[in-house]
Amino acid sequence: MLSIKNLHANIEGKEILKGINLEVKAGEVHAIMGPNGSGKSSLASVLAGRENYEVTEGEVWLDGKNLLDMKPEVRAREGVFLAFQYPVEIPGVSNINFLRTALSEIRTHRELPQLSAKEFLKMTKEKQALVEFEAKLANRSLNQGFSGGEKKRNEVFQLAMLEPKLSILDETDSGLDIDALRIVSNGINKLRSPDNAFILITHYQRLLEYIVPDFVHVLYNGQIVRSGTKELALELEEKGYDWLKEEFHGSESINKI
Amino acid sequence: MADQFTTPFYNQLVAEFENAPKGEETNSELLKSREDAFELFKAKGFPTSKDEDWKFTNLTPFLTDTFSLTTGKVDQDQVKNAVNAAVIPGLDAWMLVLLNGEVQFDLSVLPEADQFNVQPLEEVISTEVYKNYITCKEAEGNRMYALNAAFFTNGYFLEVPKNIVVNKPVQIIHLYTAAENMFFQPRHLIIVNENAKAELIEVSVSLGNAQRVLMNSVSQVTVKENANLIQYTIQDNAAEDRLINYNHVTQERSSRYDNFTFNLPGAELIRNNLEIVLNGTATETHLLGLYLVAGHQLTDNHTAIHHRFPHCDSNEIYKGVLLDKGKAVFNGKVFVERPAQKTNAFQQNNNLLLSDKAQVFAKPQLEIFADDVKCSHGCTVGQFDPESLFYLQSRGISEESARKLLVEAFMFDVTQKIENEVVKGYVQSLIYKKMENSLATII
Repeated sequence: MLSIKNLHANIEGKEILKGINLEVKAGEVHAIMGPNGSGKSSLASVLAGRENYEVTEGEVWLDGKNLLDMKPEVRAREGVFLAFQYPVEIPGVSNINFLRTALSEIRTHRELPQLSAKEFLKMTKEKQALVEFEAKLANRSLNQGFSGGEKKRNEVFQLAMLEPKLSILDETDSGLDIDALRIVSNGINKLRSPDNAFILITHYQRLLEYIVPDFVHVLYNGQIVRSGTKELALELEEKGYDWLKEEFHGSESINKI
Repeated sequence: MADQFTTPFYNQLVAEFENAPKGEETNSELLKSREDAFELFKAKGFPTSKDEDWKFTNLTPFLTDTFSLTTGKVDQDQVKNAVNAAVIPGLDAWMLVLLNGEVQFDLSVLPEADQFNVQPLEEVISTEVYKNYITCKEAEGNRMYALNAAFFTNGYFLEVPKNIVVNKPVQIIHLYTAAENMFFQPRHLIIVNENAKAELIEVSVSLGNAQRVLMNSVSQVTVKENANLIQYTIQDNAAEDRLINYNHVTQERSSRYDNFTFNLPGAELIRNNLEIVLNGTATETHLLGLYLVAGHQLTDNHTAIHHRFPHCDSNEIYKGVLLDKGKAVFNGKVFVERPAQKTNAFQQNNNLLLSDKAQVFAKPQLEIFADDVKCSHGCTVGQFDPESLFYLQSRGISEESARKLLVEAFMFDVTQKIENEVVKGYVQSLIYKKMENSLATII
């Protein structure tokens, strides 16, 4: 589904991603872990099309289409969804109006019939129930007055509404208490299907106890330095990142020789 | 200043006043007021950018033309079409039509006088009713007001009797014909008596063919004890129009006054002065404004609220969206005088600049002489938040729709306060229509 080849990207002239290679197939869940500043959120931003990143090298393909050529909204319509680490509050844009506009533009792009107001409301209710997001949406501005946890849960609710192929969850677990984490994880597990895929960016192994990944990757210094299965996450939890950093720098010096 | 006195238009006005046949005015008080006002104008001329209140609004380029003061022939069909075009679709309202400042009863749709009473101002100015309105203390020194005070001849008088809740809104349509460049100075008087309630929606339309229309109008409004008035002004005018307004509102005890001012791209010059005098305790005032400025337009809103009695609340929100080479001025004065304890006065002015070439000059001004009050003001000038834009786009919303949503969101504080749903829909549709082209070009 997603194929990232030798991806390099800069922000303000500084190289952040230094040759990422990653293959994600339909039905898979990949976790990306790594120390602070390793480039995890940058990878998410580049995939979603955030403007201030400049891709200097490499390719990203989504089901045979060149993702890097697309504007952010086209990527979303093609099926990329980024759950934001810090969802934005937009006072004055109503949750419902926002969702309806998004869904309508996505459905137009996917050549699906538009939903009637009734169907839309029904869908909203169902998806809210599915991801256990009780917050009242009508007559409220987008994310305004939502707690940190509610904002994260709203991201998962939007994910449920927009039915993407590839979901990238950027530290969706951060700032959640244990109950909220369980609820969010349950929601995501319910949304998993053989046709979609997830990339979970996280610092903590805890999330992976709830959403069990097929693969775990460690990002360090703009590259994936190790890939494995869920056992790798446990190992990281136990040993930290230092052994990987040492290994990485060791191999770097060997390469130089 | 020297230039001021040599402009043909200034000379024309001075000659006009001095050569007018004397003795026509039977009301000596009014005559004196006209003469005093004229002397002020004659001595000081038009305001210039040296005047603090006109610092960013230079009238000079708008006064180089010559203007006729007398109206020519009127094409009745054109007038009827213009009325039809100006009616707000779907609004069930009474309608008051004025042509060149004169009330047109045949074109108006008005109720029996038990709902409210309309008369041409000409018929009121010599009566007892008008006595209190001949002079206007807060406008002293304002030369555009003085010019109107010296010359005005017509306008409308609208009075709502005691205890009457007017059963429908009143749409007031001002039409101005212009076979040549025209200068109009109408004057209006609105009185909402004790416990009465009314809603007025005013629009003005010029019927020219690229001739310039300069309007210098004055309105005086009194909202009596426990009365309630909602006044909407929708300024959706042609490029040739130059609008200068002075609106003076007096609120008596326990009254409520809501003013909505909408400036849409069009007129090259809009200057509104809105002056509120709180002349009793426990009043409530809401001033809400939206200004959209595009092209080379200049839109200037000056507001002043005078808190003179205790326990009065005023709330002001003016929001501006600036496109192209538009220029906006906002000046919001709030005076809280010593007796006005327990005043709540809030003011907010936000500006969204959507073009590198647009300009805004904002000046909130609070003067507080009482010591037990809650007052605040806030003023911002900003651009689209790129993070909000990206958030919306990342959900599949096109950049254009996202910008539209964000402009809508920006204006929401004001639009949500419009209680009349038809007016709300009308104003919003005007905004989107006007902004569509401009928004599409900003990327």
